[in-house]
Amino acid sequence: MMTRQAMFDWAIGAAVIVAMAIFGLYNESGPVRDGIIRFCAIGLYAMSLNVLVGYTGMLSFGHAMFFSLGAYAFCLLLQTGVVGIPSAFVLTVVIAALLSTLVGLVCVRLTRLFFAFITLAIGMLFYSTIVAWASLTGGEQGLTGGIPKDPFFGIDLGDPFHYLMVNVLLFVVSILILRRILSSPFGAALRMVRDNPNRCIFLGINIFRVRLTAFIIAGVYASLGGVLMALYVSGAYPNFAYWTMSGDGLFMIMLGGVNVFLGPAVGAGILLALETVTKTYTSHHGFVLGVVILVTAMGLKRGLLEYVLEKLGAIRGGQGGALDGKASMPAHAVEVGHEATESVSLARTGREQE
Amino acid sequence: MNGVMSIRGLSKKFGNLQVIHDVNLDFTRGALSAVIGPNGAGKTTLFNLMTGQIRPTAGSIKLDGVEITGMDPSGIVRQGVARAFQVASLFPSFTVAEAMVAAVMSHRNTLLNLWGDFPDQEALDRAREILRDIGASGIERQQCSALSHGDKKILDIALALAMEPEVLLLDEPTSGMGREESRLMIDRIHHLWEEKQLTLIFIEHDMEIVFGIAQYVYVLRYGSLLASGTPEEIKHDPKVIEAYLGGEE
Amino acid sequence: MDPIALWDCMSSPSCVVTQGAAGLISGFTLFLVAAGLTLIFGVLNFVNFVHGAFYMFGAYFAYTAYGLTGSYLLAVLTGAIGVGILGALFEIGFVKRLYEADHLLQILVCYAFILIFDDVVSWIWGVEFLAMGMPDAFRMPPLFIFGGVVPPFYIVLIATAAAIAILMALVLRYTRYGKIIRALASNADMISALGINTRLIYISVFALGTLLAGTAGALAAPVRSLSSGMGFTILIESFIVTVIGGMGSVAGALVSALLIGLVRSFGSVGFPLFAEGLIFILMIAVLILRPQGLFGRSIREA
Repeated sequence: MMTRQAMFDWAIGAAVIVAMAIFGLYNESGPVRDGIIRFCAIGLYAMSLNVLVGYTGMLSFGHAMFFSLGAYAFCLLLQTGVVGIPSAFVLTVVIAALLSTLVGLVCVRLTRLFFAFITLAIGMLFYSTIVAWASLTGGEQGLTGGIPKDPFFGIDLGDPFHYLMVNVLLFVVSILILRRILSSPFGAALRMVRDNPNRCIFLGINIFRVRLTAFIIAGVYASLGGVLMALYVSGAYPNFAYWTMSGDGLFMIMLGGVNVFLGPAVGAGILLALETVTKTYTSHHGFVLGVVILVTAMGLKRGLLEYVLEKLGAIRGGQGGALDGKASMPAHAVEVGHEATESVSLARTGREQE
Repeated sequence: MNGVMSIRGLSKKFGNLQVIHDVNLDFTRGALSAVIGPNGAGKTTLFNLMTGQIRPTAGSIKLDGVEITGMDPSGIVRQGVARAFQVASLFPSFTVAEAMVAAVMSHRNTLLNLWGDFPDQEALDRAREILRDIGASGIERQQCSALSHGDKKILDIALALAMEPEVLLLDEPTSGMGREESRLMIDRIHHLWEEKQLTLIFIEHDMEIVFGIAQYVYVLRYGSLLASGTPEEIKHDPKVIEAYLGGEE
Repeated sequence: MDPIALWDCMSSPSCVVTQGAAGLISGFTLFLVAAGLTLIFGVLNFVNFVHGAFYMFGAYFAYTAYGLTGSYLLAVLTGAIGVGILGALFEIGFVKRLYEADHLLQILVCYAFILIFDDVVSWIWGVEFLAMGMPDAFRMPPLFIFGGVVPPFYIVLIATAAAIAILMALVLRYTRYGKIIRALASNADMISALGINTRLIYISVFALGTLLAGTAGALAAPVRSLSSGMGFTILIESFIVTVIGGMGSVAGALVSALLIGLVRSFGSVGFPLFAEGLIFILMIAVLILRPQGLFGRSIREA
């Protein structure tokens, strides 16, 4: 029995897929199409990072590591010629899960600032390894040589429509699953650990396990983004792992809204759009981006999606966000028109009781 | 004594500072007991030791004969000891109901479920029951961060109750409250204790309150147990009279 | 990877001296930057993520000043003071609003400024790599110590940096200002209750921290190539230094900066592509084994 929220989510997801399908039928190429594909990759990456930052209160500065792992692992597996795309995909996810478990075991014990430092260090260690191990990864040049895209299950990635839909489907389904996970009791546990870890201990919650699980979920989702990126550029490059990629992830989250489920995705879209627009008109892309972030961070003090939703009354305002130094609840739905005065999820449960 | 919690030779040193010194006491099962003493006597430290938040330098703590010394806090919670804090420790981004549901689900080991519903209907029912028991149904839909001071303390206790404890430790439940509010809180606590037949131990400064409802009183001073017994015994204990100069603080 | 080359070097005095000297100058430069960072964090409890940009500005200011005056001394002074002023302005304009903010916000605002500053630099000075070149005063033949090559300039740089380090230690320990700063690190409320103008202190500490970074940039300019990305690397490295040495400890910054300089220098002999990696491994090890750093004490104990 699905909750109203879940049904709504899947409906939106289906609508998006249909819309993209229609778009895809009439657009075989072009900047918008490319933008959508890049958005799917980067959007997944941003959403994955927010599992850590927004939901669990863990500021990771090395998340690019899992994104690049997804890209490199996927490419390398395919280049062996031994596995097809579906198997390479599954294996990449497994590898990502393993690596994030290992890294998580080391990092998760540390508290906020030190967690940021150690994730930065491990992330950059990963980068250094990629660059140094040129025989495996192509070093500074990246993994070139293309990747074989043999058809599988009747899907041919050489066909523009198929390719677009694979990206869209992967994105939408992954996001819906993530939504489910974050709305589950586990999602509540994440937020409790974020809000007050000490009290959690006294409520019998195993903080380490909660954080480690969040870390693994985030790592796996980031690797999914990496896979899509690898498909897009037919390779993998060291800058996927550089700490600025981790920093960009934080930017995206902040631009869209750390306290709203889809905030990071919106932020990813904003960042991509900004990059494209500024690169066409000026070479001072860094300056523009910096100013935009300043205005959002210090002016609005919350991400764009958060701001819009507050104005529309769909989420409670004045909670402060992670940016105000206070914790606030991520809205459980990107739903417009709900009463802002009551707890959204509780209101729904109350209604179902009647 | 029909002890439920036995403490023997308990000591705690922070660096060179001896905060708890060779304390021996038994808390009676099912009793409403008070731990009193001047500021700095070590009352909260005692609670911290009993709940595993800090480890003793020496000594042992037993619950129902089971050694819980040095156990970590979540382990002790699972053994049936829950506590509320002097400064209410809550979850700002949750509503009261949500926080309670999460606590109940944690107790039932259904919280780390990646696919289920939150709030879970059964857990919600139980959460509401607890809030009803403690007389706090009205604040159900409020945000934790928006609660009044008194309500925060009440929720703090409710969260502890969600652990279905055998032993409930309350650290200064009436701190920061005026006369009337304190009286109401004490009534709530007394009622709760009677209904649930818990072992309830609370730290308190107000002597009137203590002598009003406590069955047993334990007096701490400079980290040592000065005296213990019924309120009547304590009132007439020469050591206590001398320490307090016969008056309230 | 060539561990044999490293072993060979370690057993040859000339190699040890050459690599050691190179390691020391990058170590001392790094120390100055990291000292500024750790000062700002220890006293103001602010993670100054823009710190690398001040190092960069120090180098660029020095470059321009040297081009105009031909004097290395003036170049260094321009770099130091120019950056100090910039730092003060930055504190007044932005940092003061961020003290109470969440770490995420602090990092994001700083990162935004990195982007802005880097772009400003390439706007004003262009995108090509610039080289200041060895100042005429130091165009001497190199010294040969145990057969190793040591340009005299290296000695000057090391001596200057060491002098600054000693000066810092003295100021922190013995002057009134130093005592105020150390007290501020432990108890800010008390200090303002004593009637001391905390705003002025905050601004000066921040400016001092950035001035150290700018000085480092200016001092090292002759032996570095200038680019708008030069702030990044030194930023990461100075964070590593503060983590290993202990946030808030100047002595820790010195020890770990020199350690890192030497590890990089000798590491690049044996593991040319992975020298960076070695340093990160070191940081990770410290974070796991002793998160508060080797000298994990706060600035109040200087």
